[in-house]
Amino acid sequence: MMLKAEYKVEGGKLIKVQLAKREGKIDAIKITGDFFMHPEDLIDELEKALLGCPLNENAIAETIRRFVRDRGVILLGATPEDFAKCIIKAGGGNG
Amino acid sequence: MVEKWRLLDTGLKDAFYNMALDEAIAIARSRNIVPNTIRFFRWEPSAVSIGYFQSMEEEVDVEACRRLAIDFVRRRTGGGAVYHDRDGELTYSIIVNEDHPLVSRDFQRTYENLCSGLVKGLRLLGVPAEFKPINDIVVEGKKISGNAQTRGMGVVHQHGTILRDVNPTIMFTVLKVPSEKIRDKMIKSAEERVTSIKRYLGREVSFEELKHALIEGFEESFGIELVPGKIEDFEEQLAIKLREEKYSAEWWNFKR
Repeated sequence: MMLKAEYKVEGGKLIKVQLAKREGKIDAIKITGDFFMHPEDLIDELEKALLGCPLNENAIAETIRRFVRDRGVILLGATPEDFAKCIIKAGGGNG
Repeated sequence: MVEKWRLLDTGLKDAFYNMALDEAIAIARSRNIVPNTIRFFRWEPSAVSIGYFQSMEEEVDVEACRRLAIDFVRRRTGGGAVYHDRDGELTYSIIVNEDHPLVSRDFQRTYENLCSGLVKGLRLLGVPAEFKPINDIVVEGKKISGNAQTRGMGVVHQHGTILRDVNPTIMFTVLKVPSEKIRDKMIKSAEERVTSIKRYLGREVSFEELKHALIEGFEESFGIELVPGKIEDFEEQLAIKLREEKYSAEWWNFKR
């Protein structure tokens, strides 16, 4: 995974993303940082849910929002939109 | 009748056991083997813990830790990397059933409720502590306590630090900084952002005095009586197993 970015949420936590892209889509991703997500072990499934997602900020935010809603995830210190921002930053911008 | 909670003081233990015992108590609580519990503990050797979602390689200078004989461990809770100094820090855990009035569905509210015992205890010592969202306790805007929470199996587990004394130089030797150049800057800025009981009061407060104040703080703030208790066999055996199979294992500590 060659692409990396960090994003500090204002009044919140630090998100770090490592990713690989192929044809404008997420091919591999690892999200780390000092945020809180409950239940914790769903982070692996969230990463899986992002595979194949186009590197588009809205699409990524929607994928994460849907995951959070469907799985009853609680986020503290970072929102789905913050994660999307960091992922796009790592991917070198939209598209 | 005043509600009774168990008080444990497990003294100086290594990082892997410390984290394993916290999980073992949470499991024991979920099976109703033990009552709601507050535990005090310390770290020997000094150690670094990282949050559940952090990367060990990115956050911790593992080589420096090995050189200085400092342990490193991943927590079961989120949040940031922490240097736990053997002589500078007191650590606590709260393990409480999810149906307790102190626990809200709102995680932010629950942090504030559970931290109120620490805030009260620090104030009893003359330290004007305040809760600061998301998960800190500050004195005059400087952090004196960091806290992290998880829940599962119907149990809330919160643990956190209280700084008696602080050593940013060791802290930034074992925690990774973006570059050597800014290490000094980070040490300076940590000195501005972080404080300790010793720094605020200008005197040494012993671990015994600190624990005594915190016990009173928890009792008054939670409306409970803390009864000194012991680790049950179930907890001890589970802790030993979790220490070996999870918290001291590479698969866990380097999993992200």
